[in-house]
Amino acid sequence: MKTFLKIKKWQISTVILAVALVFSRPVLAQPIRVVATFPDLADITRQIGKNLVSVESLATGVEDPHGVPMKPSFVPRLNRANLLVVTGLDDEHSWLPALLEVASNPKILPGQPGYIDCSVGIPVLEAPTRLDRAEGDLHPKGNPHYLLDPVHGKIAAQNIAAGLTRNFPQYQADFDKNLKTYLAELDSWIGRWEKVAAPLRGVKYVEYHPEWVYFANRFGLKRVGSIEIKPGIEPTPNHLVQLVQQIKQENAQVLIYGSQNPRIPQQLQGETGIKVLRLYTSAGARSETDTYIKWIDYTVHSLVQAVS
Amino acid sequence: MALPKLWTPILAAYAFGTVAILSPALCLAQNSEIQELRSAVEGLQQQLQKALQRIDQLEKEKTATSEKINQIQEEKTTTASRIGQMEKSVQAVQSAPSALNPAIGMVLDANVQNLGKAGGNFDFRSAELGIAASVDPFARMYSFINGTKDGVEVDEAAAITSSLPWNLTAKGGRFLADFGRFPKVHEHELPFVNEPLSVQRMIGGETQADGVEVNYLFPTPFFLRATLGGYNKIGEDNDQVSNSKPRSWSQFTYLGRLNSYFDLTENHSIEVGTSMAYTPVVRLSGAPGGGNRILNGVDLTYRYQPLASAIYQGLTWGSEFYFNSQRFPTDDSANRSQTYGGYSYAELKLNKNWSTGFQVDYAPIVDAPAQRTMSYSPFLTWNLSEFNRLRLQYSYLNNNFRGADKAENGNQVFLQWTTVIGAHTHGFLSR
Repeated sequence: MKTFLKIKKWQISTVILAVALVFSRPVLAQPIRVVATFPDLADITRQIGKNLVSVESLATGVEDPHGVPMKPSFVPRLNRANLLVVTGLDDEHSWLPALLEVASNPKILPGQPGYIDCSVGIPVLEAPTRLDRAEGDLHPKGNPHYLLDPVHGKIAAQNIAAGLTRNFPQYQADFDKNLKTYLAELDSWIGRWEKVAAPLRGVKYVEYHPEWVYFANRFGLKRVGSIEIKPGIEPTPNHLVQLVQQIKQENAQVLIYGSQNPRIPQQLQGETGIKVLRLYTSAGARSETDTYIKWIDYTVHSLVQAVS
Repeated sequence: MALPKLWTPILAAYAFGTVAILSPALCLAQNSEIQELRSAVEGLQQQLQKALQRIDQLEKEKTATSEKINQIQEEKTTTASRIGQMEKSVQAVQSAPSALNPAIGMVLDANVQNLGKAGGNFDFRSAELGIAASVDPFARMYSFINGTKDGVEVDEAAAITSSLPWNLTAKGGRFLADFGRFPKVHEHELPFVNEPLSVQRMIGGETQADGVEVNYLFPTPFFLRATLGGYNKIGEDNDQVSNSKPRSWSQFTYLGRLNSYFDLTENHSIEVGTSMAYTPVVRLSGAPGGGNRILNGVDLTYRYQPLASAIYQGLTWGSEFYFNSQRFPTDDSANRSQTYGGYSYAELKLNKNWSTGFQVDYAPIVDAPAQRTMSYSPFLTWNLSEFNRLRLQYSYLNNNFRGADKAENGNQVFLQWTTVIGAHTHGFLSR
């Protein structure tokens, strides 16, 4: 009887342990579900969260960042998310707020802990002094394309790490360690990019949409003009005539466009001989730019190659 | 030749003596050379020592410098972050009085039209004032106040919950009930000039309704959303039912809707919806007894949106079909009166600013099911910007009965101008 009882106790202990393991496994295995609006933010989140997070990007990188189609298929993803990582500065204003209205997920609404705004602490450029739609499709909080400056990528990474820690403090040590490693890696790359990009200093460029100011500030390029009359407003024939003259007079070397239609850039190339380069303002648009670092690296090298 | 035995010890003694005499001199010479060499080596050792010390010192200086650079970079990042936060705080303080005000916008929708035999008209369709803001952490509110040539009315004013659990959202007040696709879209947001005649006749215009609605988002990997609602009535111009008199709960209109969406590929998608509005008892004024009414709708939208050029290219094909079944005591027979109607349209985006399309509409008269109007409308839209739009539309309306309203017959031409100021959004449902 004693033996029987002993076996029974042993069996009971085993069963309890097995049950505990079964129930604890999903908890341990369940990664933090993060939705990022763009692939660059998704990549940085992966670098900091590593195997603790499962990250999805809503946009693929080829879209116009201000005109990402408002797909209802984004709604279930937002509904299930523990955290939402956004560029901020109203970059997603035309499509994200309406999706959040129907996502039924109060945790990731603006102002909530689960809403991670990567623009916090960014020294913002081109904040409008006059808020009037006569100035085009303005971003009232300033130019949101700050991730094109890799030093700002570090701030975004710090914001993401802070957001992850705010919501999941039990993993702080992991997030801190991964952040330190990633920042060191970024620092090393920034050093390399500054050397590689030396030929870009003083290079005059034309852009389709005002997206390149942060990159230009970091690597010393000089903006000559833009194809759009005002942000978001397509050019008139008169504006294009003036731009052609400006390109010739100021000897602009490169015209950069991204998700916009190549027709006008190609037309200007034909008229002025300026080099035209399609460079997207987000990672993920090309297979070789699937991470933030690869995207900046590709951008720097493409520009250097174009001007050399 | 062997030496004599006597000479051998003599020679050995001589050799020994010579070596004994000369060896101290040799030893002295060797010692001085070694001494010199030793001092030279010592000198070299000292120089090497100094060089090593210098290298150590330089390495230490280098480490200190790179640490200093890192420290400066970190300080720079922290300072930039603080400056950014301070700037945001300053902006928040500066804009605090206005920040709590709701977002306000206005849409002006006017057109010049020629309605065939009815003649021409400058049609001031609406000036819509939109106001929206969060109420508190639990709800937000919005309102559209519409001024038309007939007066001013509250088109919509509703509160929506923002933090209900279990994927639920509740809405209450006056709003456009979640029936179909375009019936709940404001007229200036449509891809063509006018609301389809089938919507006007079968629903009573926009699905304006006073009541409550609850939405449920299914926890499925694809988008699936259900709506249940209860209202006084549905339809801005639906005059079968009073919007103000108290009545029994059986005389309200109840709605159910399911809406889903699927990505066929990255660029192609399809959206489907089915709606039913049921009024268990309808009492027409002056008529004995009561009838009832069921209005069903199915909507289907196909979209081609190439992600890389969605702002320049795209095709939308949308269709809605309605089926109305009603029985009123005033009917001559006891049979139910049934009508079918609907519209279909396609719109092609030509570039960022221009798009064109074609709409076909089949609109029966609900109270006289045999009578119907067919219309065919090509249209061309020029978006000067996101907030400024011109649209030219031609419509041909064909009635299968005599005595149709002149304004709903023959050839019609419209030139519509829609402009927006301030904040303006109708949200997810009118996308």
